[in-house]
Amino acid sequence: MFEIGGGDALVTTRERALALAEAAARFPELCPPSADEMMAAIQGELGHEEALEGFQKYHGGFTQAIPARTILHIVSGNTPHAALQTMLRGLLLGSRNFVKFPSNGLGALEEFSSFLPAELAALLECSREIRPGWKEQAEAWVVFGDDRTVAMLRAECPAGRIFEGHGHRVSFAVVFDDPEFQSCAGAARDVSLFDQAGCMSPHGIYVAGDALGYASRLAVEMEACHVAVPARPLSMGDRVRIAEARDALAFEAANSPGTRIWQSSGLPGWTVVYEEDTKFRVSPLDRFVFVKPLPADISSVLGEIRHVVGGIGIFPASLEHAEKTVGLGASRICPIGKMQETPFTWHADSRQNLAALVRWVDFEPDV
Amino acid sequence: MSDLSNSYAEFESEVSRWMAAGAGDFEEMAMRVFEFQRSACVEYGRFCAEKPAPSDWREIPAVPVDIFRRMALRSFPAERTIRTFRTSGTTGEGFGEHHFCSLSLYEQAAKFGWANAGLPADGNVVSLIASAADCPHSSLSQMASWLAPGGRSFFGEWEQLAERLESADDVVLFGTALAFLDFFESLGARGLFLPSGSLAVETGGYKGTRREMPKEDLYRLFETKLGLAAESVWNEYGMTELTSQFYSRGFGAHCGPPWCRALVVDPVSGREVGEGETGVLQIFDAANLGSVSAIRTRDLGIRRGAGFELIGRDPAALPRGCSRSAEEMLS
Repeated sequence: MFEIGGGDALVTTRERALALAEAAARFPELCPPSADEMMAAIQGELGHEEALEGFQKYHGGFTQAIPARTILHIVSGNTPHAALQTMLRGLLLGSRNFVKFPSNGLGALEEFSSFLPAELAALLECSREIRPGWKEQAEAWVVFGDDRTVAMLRAECPAGRIFEGHGHRVSFAVVFDDPEFQSCAGAARDVSLFDQAGCMSPHGIYVAGDALGYASRLAVEMEACHVAVPARPLSMGDRVRIAEARDALAFEAANSPGTRIWQSSGLPGWTVVYEEDTKFRVSPLDRFVFVKPLPADISSVLGEIRHVVGGIGIFPASLEHAEKTVGLGASRICPIGKMQETPFTWHADSRQNLAALVRWVDFEPDV
Repeated sequence: MSDLSNSYAEFESEVSRWMAAGAGDFEEMAMRVFEFQRSACVEYGRFCAEKPAPSDWREIPAVPVDIFRRMALRSFPAERTIRTFRTSGTTGEGFGEHHFCSLSLYEQAAKFGWANAGLPADGNVVSLIASAADCPHSSLSQMASWLAPGGRSFFGEWEQLAERLESADDVVLFGTALAFLDFFESLGARGLFLPSGSLAVETGGYKGTRREMPKEDLYRLFETKLGLAAESVWNEYGMTELTSQFYSRGFGAHCGPPWCRALVVDPVSGREVGEGETGVLQIFDAANLGSVSAIRTRDLGIRRGAGFELIGRDPAALPRGCSRSAEEMLS
């Protein structure tokens, strides 16, 4: 299945990292990693910066990481962020990469290979369709999409191949101590970036203390975000979905003093809903966020969501507060305001995403 | 409570007579129905209290259909409930419930609405819909039991249905699009050619099955499998949360009975869109007396005169990306 050498790259891992960092820097909105961050991921996940170059010492012997020779990446249209990171991983490993973009495209990222040196560009083939032969040739499949798509492709993936599926995730934030509402601007940014399409986009914010006041202030910040970076255009169907959610909550608010709504005057725009009821609510997305009082036991209000938690933004982002959320199912706890800035070293979906794409060959010398 | 019960019964009789008489002066009756419901249905009354008072029926505050999933809307005492219909729940978002203290307006709306659409009131209706006995919570099954009285449901019994149709005179077939599709598939390469006066009424779509077919393709199958031209095929548009139905013939626009109106509105402003423009369907169904008559649906439509061209839900408008499945899990 694998061949030593893992593709036709002619450069070392560090040289690839330098070239990739330079190309990725053209996409500052996607928080591109530096070469050092990429090498830190290699060091962290593979144990040695040169683990791909040759045998490295390992428990009295040696070991070498052999990357999948070819990787098929199927990326979704949610955010280009995950697409960039998975392409970078495959190229950093020196694998040959087939990238299937969403049928409606992924903007400038589709031209990523044009920013690469020829040796790396030769390792990247991109298309909005899965080209003939890609599925058969790929030794590893990395799939981003809804759960049904991931399950369908997992069933299609031949036995013996690596399959890394990244399905649905839901994120939220927790404000432990913020009487001055300092975290509101960051929270608004987390909700607004990518119009909540990403797995790190918070659906709700649990607030200790004055949650109603927090919601009111958050509404001001959401409007500021909308003015700075207007929300994506919405189709008529999208408008129906958001308007229905607003109308239904207005109906509930009329019948419950524990519900209040702030919203932009039109759509596309934003919506902030304060609810005394602490049960987690999934947002209809497109800058629509719930603010709720922080219950004594968050896990008790998450329901089935606890199985699909992606990330948790917290404020203040101290170790003490992180420890209060560590058991809630997330693979990432980060400061509110930084939720969309996923580092290259993040264990996305609680996995080692570089290590998942290599196999190991151990050598036990007798001399 | 008994006052409310009595007032409902009295008003129901009045509305029934008005419907039977052709539903003249819709404006006047619609406003009376609104006044009754905002007083009788506490939750709706609170909602309306925060809205501007309507100056005509078009401005009557409409309830988003999703509310039927979240709370019980009754314009009669809860203890008088005799029947509750449930939505299919096949969109993965849980069940909506529509409570009734009397089915008389529903039966009247189903029968009169059918006839109003030009369908034969005393036709030989053959149902492809599960029986009301098997599906007591299905409003569609209840409706089929009225329209095909004494008949039996051939739901899932496609071979028996084929035998019945081979020997039948003019018939009216009534079923969901999915049931028709199943039936057509069961026929294989075989085609049945129904007598020239026969008709078909399809409804209900392909809820939750991921098995969809453009209307043009479905109607082509009606022609090849049953010998029915598009002009002999009707579509019924209804929902559990409503009492009345809209019908279209062939590829024409949907129209409702005189006691029912559809508006195609902008989902945000609520204002009616222009002729030929797309918006969301908002229905005022006077026969929905026991709950709330003004309903904002999730379905898109194009305004066509007094009716609409049904587009349905926009699949592209489902929450994208990472959240959809989680939403289903929460339901």
